[in-house]
Amino acid sequence: MCGLVGYLNKRNRAEPLGEILYQMTSGLCRRGPDSAGVALYGKPQPGRLRVRVKLGEQGDFQQEAVRLVEAISKITNVHASKTINEYQTLAVDAVDPIVLERQIERMSSHFEVISLGSRLDIIKQVGSPEDLNATYPFRSFAGTHGIGHTRMSTESRVDLSHSQPFWAHGIADLATAHNGHITNYHKLRRQYEQHGMHFYTENDSEIIGKYLALKLSEGMTFEQALKASLQDFDGSYTYLAATANSLAYVKDPFGFKPLHVVECDDFVALATEEVATRTWVDSGYVSREAGSDEIAIWDLNEVSAPTKSE
Amino acid sequence: METIDAKGKSSREINREIRRLMEQGSRQIRVLSPRALHNLAVGIVEPVEIAFEGSVGSYCGGMVDGPSIRIQGSAGWGLAECMMSGSFVVEGNAGSSVAASIRGGTVVVHGNAAARAGIAMKGGLLVIEGDCGYMAGFMMQKGTLIVCGNSADALADSMYEGTVYLGGEARSLGNDTNVSEPDEQDWSFLRRTLARHGISADRPFKKIVAGRRLWNFEKQEFGLWKEVL
Repeated sequence: MCGLVGYLNKRNRAEPLGEILYQMTSGLCRRGPDSAGVALYGKPQPGRLRVRVKLGEQGDFQQEAVRLVEAISKITNVHASKTINEYQTLAVDAVDPIVLERQIERMSSHFEVISLGSRLDIIKQVGSPEDLNATYPFRSFAGTHGIGHTRMSTESRVDLSHSQPFWAHGIADLATAHNGHITNYHKLRRQYEQHGMHFYTENDSEIIGKYLALKLSEGMTFEQALKASLQDFDGSYTYLAATANSLAYVKDPFGFKPLHVVECDDFVALATEEVATRTWVDSGYVSREAGSDEIAIWDLNEVSAPTKSE
Repeated sequence: METIDAKGKSSREINREIRRLMEQGSRQIRVLSPRALHNLAVGIVEPVEIAFEGSVGSYCGGMVDGPSIRIQGSAGWGLAECMMSGSFVVEGNAGSSVAASIRGGTVVVHGNAAARAGIAMKGGLLVIEGDCGYMAGFMMQKGTLIVCGNSADALADSMYEGTVYLGGEARSLGNDTNVSEPDEQDWSFLRRTLARHGISADRPFKKIVAGRRLWNFEKQEFGLWKEVL
């Protein structure tokens, strides 16, 4: 039982996104006391990539950060670098995400890229949304869209790496957050590992981003990949996926997990329970539950209606 | 009419306040800004009128016997679950499993209902003015489900008894259904019932009941059972 929230401004305007996601995840924190996280999409920086790296579980993070910057400097220019606890936040000149991630991970087996993209920042840790903001203040973050997650672990470890949202790895700016249980996870994971894909956690939710990244790299559109996942994933799942300019949900054919949708002229807000959006703002909209076997995508400038799988 | 301002209050505090007012003899209570909190007005066994001025969360009014509850917003999962008697009106939409396992009473949803509406109903009446989600009326045992709009997949799957009326189209019907045109008695029931809630019966209603092929196991119909299980 986890909590999901999502928000997108349909007119491509920057909003107090951090505050909105903070309020909504706080309203859901009873659905997930183990960890909290947000994926925030801020102002794009042309020609730059934002990178967040976990430096390890313990040790001298400052020293590790120096090693990390040295490693990255060999393949691109580092413009900004900052260490907060085990997190290293960097701004670098754009390079191939796969090449950059490989370079970082080659340096140390402790290094793990948490997020990478022109707009994406993923911040997550063990604890409540309040704790998250105390460590990494994000309430003042301005952006156009984002997703949030509160986790109640059922199968895998409770630590930063196993927290959500997940960056999809390999594709810049693609993030996912999941509520439910992908029951054919082990089968899919074995298949993917045979193709050389690396998994960072034991969390079944990690497979969603991997799946979408694979389908996109095979030439599917984002919408096609989301629709195909309705056929390929078994179990209970409602998941949110976000890219540099869109927000989407997918709800399994049995409708095992709730998802409320609030759509107005200016914005769309998604939440596992209506209490999340009501915690943020309590008037001026009607909430509806998303249908089973359904996907919907909202682009920053263009809107598509919910569609059923074929 | 007594008023509870729920702003800043938890579900438990609101429920205690409702009970305190009932003990003092209040028979009409309105609750302001319920903020979609869960488990509101559960287990009430007196004929009290409660109006929630806003949305309620999951399991509102579960296991009640007798109250009349109006929700001026939407409801989360499991509204009125296991009700014995009473009435609910939802002005907005209802989440999954609305009126699950009710034994009596009436639930009216003026918006749409999500998956498994009226699952395992054992009596009572559920009216959905809009559309219903996946598997509405699944394993219904008694009672009536009226869906004025369209249905998602597997409507009225594996019913024992009871009746489903559908005013729009079903994306697919469930296993073992028997669809027929409503007779004059059905139409009179539909008109009377819907008029009571200000809903027009002027729709091409179909009547759906159990096909009764799953009532007993027949070896010749193994294919049907294989499909169901």
